[in-house]
Amino acid sequence: MNGRKSFGGGGGRGKSTTGAQGKDGQRRPMFRRRKVCKFCSDKIDDINYKDVRMLMPFVPERAKVLPRRISGTCALHQRKLRTAIMRARQLALIPYTTE
Amino acid sequence: MNRKYELVYVVSPEASDEQVTDLHTQVEATVQRMNGQIEKTENWGRRKLAYEIGRHKEGTYVLEVINGTGDLMKEIDRRLKVIDLVIRHLVVRVDEEQGVVDRTKARRSETSRRRRVARGLPPDRQPGEGQRGDVDDDRDDRFDMGEELR
Repeated sequence: MNGRKSFGGGGGRGKSTTGAQGKDGQRRPMFRRRKVCKFCSDKIDDINYKDVRMLMPFVPERAKVLPRRISGTCALHQRKLRTAIMRARQLALIPYTTE
Repeated sequence: MNRKYELVYVVSPEASDEQVTDLHTQVEATVQRMNGQIEKTENWGRRKLAYEIGRHKEGTYVLEVINGTGDLMKEIDRRLKVIDLVIRHLVVRVDEEQGVVDRTKARRSETSRRRRVARGLPPDRQPGEGQRGDVDDDRDDRFDMGEELR
């Protein structure tokens, strides 16, 4: 007994599971892949405003900054990413918005 | 105190090549007058702007890496604001950030070396080792941008 059984919330680290109600009322666990920070895993230290190719996946269609909860970027890198995006926007390398 | 700065300026698409080089010499003159050095100059050429600035849809981008004082950058900033040919410019201080990056890189390679030695492997990664090493950089499409923004 290690008391690691978790119901719904409190997933914390590791694979997070959310209970999904099946058609026949059966409880089936839905596995979601744990998101990892792309910059940590690829060991990219330098998030540069000049590298538009690198920033582009983080500004989807509406040209907003992709939130951390979706991209899985860690806080440190999200912060660096944000400054890089803001600088790139100033230079018209990345749009502020799209019509 | 000398610091390292990056200056990027966007020149109006109507400017001729001579005007762009002329602008570069102007910047260079200011830098030299105030005891700075230009470390690197890069002309990115004509690029499409992500949004219209004034009525321009394109611009010529020039990057200069400058070693100098804050006063020098202030002066360059002031001058570029005045010049109408420059439609946008940005000055960023890079030395501190670069130091952090270098330190992280050094620390990372150091730990990896130590761990490899502890595992009884040669300190440096051998060619053809690991899954990541043989990925061709050109074929790496992880950072490819969407078509509509290209």
